[in-house]
Amino acid sequence: MSAAAPTARPSSYSPRIGLRRSASVGFMAVAMLAILASMVMLGALIVEILLDGAAHLFTDGGAVERDTRSGLVSDLPTPESMGWMRWAVPLAILLPAIGPRLLRRLAPKLSRDMERILGLLAVAPAAIFIHILYVRFESAYLIDYAKLTDISGASGNIIQLFAEASGFQFVRLIIVGLVLPIAILVFGARWAPRMRRPSLLISAILIAAWLVYLFIDPWFLSSFPSRKPAEAGLFSAVTGTLYMMAITAALAFPLGVGAAIYLEEYARQNWFSRIIRVNIANLAGVPSIIYGLLGLQVFVRVMEFERSVLAGACTMALLVMPIIIVSAQEALRTVPPSMREAAYAVGATRWQVVRYHVLPYAFGGMLTGNILAMSRAIGETAPLIAIGALTFIAFLADSPTDDFTVLPIQIFNWVSRPQSGFHEIAAAGIIVLLLILLLMNAAAIIMRQRTRTDW
Amino acid sequence: MARNIFTVMRSSTPAATAERSSVSAPPPPNLPPPNTKQDAAAGVGVHIDPTLEAVRHDFTEEVEMAVQLRDVSAYYGTFQAVDKMTIPVPRNRVTALIGPSGCGKSTLLRCLNRMNDLIPGARVEGNIEFEGRNLLDPDVDAVDVRRRIGMVFQKPNPFPKSIYENVAFGARINGYSGDMDRLVEDSLRRAALWDEVKDDLSKSGLALSGGQQQRLCIARAIAVQPEIILMDEPASALDPVATLKIEDLMRELAEDYTIVVVTHNMQQAGRVSDYTAFLLAGEERVGRLVEFGPTQDIFTNPLDQRTEDYITGRYG
Repeated sequence: MSAAAPTARPSSYSPRIGLRRSASVGFMAVAMLAILASMVMLGALIVEILLDGAAHLFTDGGAVERDTRSGLVSDLPTPESMGWMRWAVPLAILLPAIGPRLLRRLAPKLSRDMERILGLLAVAPAAIFIHILYVRFESAYLIDYAKLTDISGASGNIIQLFAEASGFQFVRLIIVGLVLPIAILVFGARWAPRMRRPSLLISAILIAAWLVYLFIDPWFLSSFPSRKPAEAGLFSAVTGTLYMMAITAALAFPLGVGAAIYLEEYARQNWFSRIIRVNIANLAGVPSIIYGLLGLQVFVRVMEFERSVLAGACTMALLVMPIIIVSAQEALRTVPPSMREAAYAVGATRWQVVRYHVLPYAFGGMLTGNILAMSRAIGETAPLIAIGALTFIAFLADSPTDDFTVLPIQIFNWVSRPQSGFHEIAAAGIIVLLLILLLMNAAAIIMRQRTRTDW
Repeated sequence: MARNIFTVMRSSTPAATAERSSVSAPPPPNLPPPNTKQDAAAGVGVHIDPTLEAVRHDFTEEVEMAVQLRDVSAYYGTFQAVDKMTIPVPRNRVTALIGPSGCGKSTLLRCLNRMNDLIPGARVEGNIEFEGRNLLDPDVDAVDVRRRIGMVFQKPNPFPKSIYENVAFGARINGYSGDMDRLVEDSLRRAALWDEVKDDLSKSGLALSGGQQQRLCIARAIAVQPEIILMDEPASALDPVATLKIEDLMRELAEDYTIVVVTHNMQQAGRVSDYTAFLLAGEERVGRLVEFGPTQDIFTNPLDQRTEDYITGRYG
């Protein structure tokens, strides 16, 4: 570090930042403090988890009386064990915002490895936050269930959760409670050195998560619809949305990307492929209610899926497929021709060129398009009303053939009720829906960023 | 194999050697051909009389032909880019294609490894004989052709992958089963790049300098162990130092490979090539062969006025 070095030396000034020296010293001091504080905080968190045990951290112990709450939290006490979040989140926002630049200045040679560590540090709070939030959410559900069925001693700690969970719930617990946080850690560490501005994106996600934490009652997310507004929750709507979106993505992404690859890489340029191209663009503009009617006839009646998650997902897949195809085609067109030629010139077959060069290059763009299409599908209400998704679901879908509801339908239902309490929780539901949308769009931006700076 | 690149005697008995070479066109007539320096009157020679036969110098050494192009014409849709070119490509020699822009040099080069198949509407006619078969036959597998006839492009275009992967890719997809590390090292050594990159083969190929990238592309082409390497203005995007390295490399590679190089740079053609073909497009923009022969002959004693004009820099 050469704060006192003569400014005439070209190596001592940084065109990247362009701050004056006096300003950058103060800047570095703040950043150092942020890094130190964040490391201390993380250490304390790990010690807390290790010493106090999972039960203390992960449960509410049923302490909050259910009748006292409404959808929006104003008076709900934050559990003591979650107090660290108040400090963790602002720090985690500050740290990635200034850390990488600081590192590049201080130790340009070390910075790649250091940035990895920093990326890990920056996303660690997010991962832990998601893990805890989800386990709290599941344990609230478990305790609720225990009360109803008179099981005594349901504390909702993580071991009990795993013991009680079955079927779809178990899969959910593993994926959201374990795989997702670990994946966030791994990708945070891997992507941080590659992203140009990792700071802002991670910060945006954390702010969104923090908003959920501050304003949305975990009970609101973890209880079923009810006749009384104070007891109604979004549990079945949120899980139904996530469930349906997962199946929609699994159906639409491979089909859409496959279609795009065929159209861009394999199809000959003739009148037939031109008709297909034009009509895919047209399909992207067809009103969604028409897809709903199509889904009602084809999936609900002819294929006898009934009013299930599967029928909804198939309809949604049809709805978003044109968008996915068009965006995947765009992504494929960005692959430079010189790269294809290079691969062909060493004797690659067409499929090898696509598989090893075109797809990896275009994948980020395809994923972005997919997520944007998904975020359109998540807000669609009309087709699901057409196929008859229910608004009052007091259980979780355990298999794709179960009845379901989704967020927009639940909100629509609440808004149309006369009691003002339902209007309040509809507002809360809208915030949840918006936050999910924000998160998905942030993920899309991260992926686009990643492919742009890959290598 | 013993190389005697410029043992080009001004042969007094050219007919004997010419017969041994597999030039299929009628053996080049002894000088002077009928059109020699006769249409100089037609201005600066941009106009080509399509009926004129190309001028062929005699081969002055005994050399096998790696590829033999006969009456090759190439079209892009209805536009004809190359008209009936007959060019022999001697084995283990560097053959340069020179000529002004738009005379079909690159098109002709891309015919050799069927790269034009990839362009919609492109069509190639004629006969390109390679190991007893016509490369343009529909039942010849273009992928196999490209494996055996490699190509290096004008702009360095390494894959956005590591240096190692760049070199290993071609071998891997072609089912190479030997020691990959060794192959990568050998290829990089042959491309005179090993000493510069051996410390970090996992670095991105795009992180190298332009000249290094072009040598990486050459290593990538070598790794597939082709018989012929086509180079499309390989040094046009490089500075003089990198250009010199590439040229040295081409001379070395010519010991084991047949090289066909397109270049705009007269000096480069003179320095690196053993044989030169001069192409020219007329007003209708159809490229035709004007003169073919040993480089020294072409440069010191061009038989066609247009070749002389081009080489001495009077146009082009």
